[in-house]
Amino acid sequence: MLVQIAWRNIWRNKTRSFVVIGSIVIGLWASIFILAFAWGLYKNNIDESVNRQLSHIQIHHPEFTHQQESKFVIEHSDSILSLLQKDDRVQAASARTITKGMITSPTTATGVTVYGISPAAEEKQIGLNENLIEGDYFESGKSNEIFIGEKLAKKLKIKLRSKVVVTFTDIESNMVSAAFRVGGIYRSRNLSLDEVNVYVQKQSLDNLLGLKPSESNELAILLKNESALDSFNSDVQLMVPHKKVEDWMDLSPELELVIESFHLYTYIITGIILLALTFGIVNTMLMSVLERIRELGMLMAIGLNKKKIFTMIMLETLFLTLIGCPVGLLVGWLSVLVLGSIGINIAIFSEGLASYGFSSIIYPALDSQNYWTVAIMCLITALLSAIYPAFRALQLNPAESIRKI
Amino acid sequence: MKKTIIDAHNVSKTYNEKMIPVKALQDVHLHIEEGEFVALVGPSGSGKSTLLNMIGGLDEPSSGTVFVDGVEITKLPENKLIDFRLENIGFVFQSFNLIPVLTSKENIGFVLQLQKVPKKDREKRVLELLQEVGLAEKINSRPGELSGGQQQRVAVARALASKPKIILADEPTANLDSKSAANLLDIMAKLNKEEKITFLFSTHDQRVIEKARRVITLVDGKVDSDIVQTPT
Repeated sequence: MLVQIAWRNIWRNKTRSFVVIGSIVIGLWASIFILAFAWGLYKNNIDESVNRQLSHIQIHHPEFTHQQESKFVIEHSDSILSLLQKDDRVQAASARTITKGMITSPTTATGVTVYGISPAAEEKQIGLNENLIEGDYFESGKSNEIFIGEKLAKKLKIKLRSKVVVTFTDIESNMVSAAFRVGGIYRSRNLSLDEVNVYVQKQSLDNLLGLKPSESNELAILLKNESALDSFNSDVQLMVPHKKVEDWMDLSPELELVIESFHLYTYIITGIILLALTFGIVNTMLMSVLERIRELGMLMAIGLNKKKIFTMIMLETLFLTLIGCPVGLLVGWLSVLVLGSIGINIAIFSEGLASYGFSSIIYPALDSQNYWTVAIMCLITALLSAIYPAFRALQLNPAESIRKI
Repeated sequence: MKKTIIDAHNVSKTYNEKMIPVKALQDVHLHIEEGEFVALVGPSGSGKSTLLNMIGGLDEPSSGTVFVDGVEITKLPENKLIDFRLENIGFVFQSFNLIPVLTSKENIGFVLQLQKVPKKDREKRVLELLQEVGLAEKINSRPGELSGGQQQRVAVARALASKPKIILADEPTANLDSKSAANLLDIMAKLNKEEKITFLFSTHDQRVIEKARRVITLVDGKVDSDIVQTPT
């Protein structure tokens, strides 16, 4: 009967109940949407970093990680690579030669990281071919082509087909200078990397550095499915026991930090939104209690004890929440589903976002665990919010309540 | 010899209204026997409702004791008092008597449910009670669909539901037209006579006072007169 009374009570003032339900729906939707948007933003950044920069796993000579010198190579990298490429879990694997150097244009010079890449193998990894805004992707077949970022081109005040000189040290520590012609200008989603990474044919760089074709500084492996990361990592460590095998989280601890901070962010944002919701519920339920003082007095007089009065008020809030929560979850889920597929274009901020490695189109995404976290937090908030109004109802004295007009 | 059902000794009640003590009741003695039909009269502010609240255990006296059916209710802890009220005392108020979201049947059944009466017995009793107050056809009506008089009759039926020894009614006819008031009074008088339920009601209404067999007048929180009369 108490359940029945509470249920009917919430429909006595439909407007007020819909205000509470609406607040819950909006609160939940806002929490879900903000989290999905933020996760979409971070996930984009993480995916971009993993797919285009880090790959899932990288193999280096143990010394190369610390000193970044081209002389620390992986011998027989060609045979290791062909073994890796045969693995079913591998989507793409490529060998790279890397050196730090100085790029000089007729007007200025700046420090860069020169990547010697195998163009075909890198199409699925660095994806330079997709990011080119000028020029063709190693199509001329010339060995002296260099591909630079748009930002670097502006800095060096050079254009497509301009000539640049790259200076670095070879494996014997001799200074080597080589002239390259700009074969293409690219723009990736990470402007900060565009300014420092330049790409040339691996074979050309190997020759300049004095490396054998079978030697590389880095083997990068992109997996078909990230869930295979741990098992694949272990297998690779067994395959190349004296090399350093690192996954993307080892290579870029800041990305792991991003994920961790996102979880914290989940609770903070949701907490703030739910705090606002608390005030709405406390206010509305308190109004509902104070409006019914005489009625509550009568209920106490005819034999309803305080525990039951308290339960009744809590049930009223619980019902409103149980209506609002699924609706909020549904609206939130649909928003994420729709916007997650079409994306949100925030082109107006793209310059700023791109410099931090973010894309201008955000695809909101949220895993199911976060939906439940937000919904449970919402439910707890609503019930906690109802405690004060219910407690006020407990303080009523039946005789005084009945006297009140 | 008839059994004493209400026994109030030296009951006083002082309220603090804006820090000023107001004496609502002063050393009231009251002795009511089982089956009496008593009107509590007096001007506004004379302490009628306060006295009813003390007897019904809705409020605590500042001093004095109240016995209902031999139980000193002024000493009962709150939970026991609620149970005692549920089993022994029925209330009819001036207004806001019924739970607005429940039908007549549910309003009456609610008290029975609190007493854990099985559903079958409950339904039978609800119908009997509604028949007794002449509202069997309004069994599924909510209070908003009933007239003031009908609402009060449902309230009386609900007060009777738990088969209480006493029904306390605080100005039950105050908001009713004369016909509804007379009808309600007839029902109360009939129940008093047939079921031996003790009625104690406060009223200003002369027609109600005339129906009572005993009239206690309160003035300034004190018993001014206590007259036994022949009802008209």
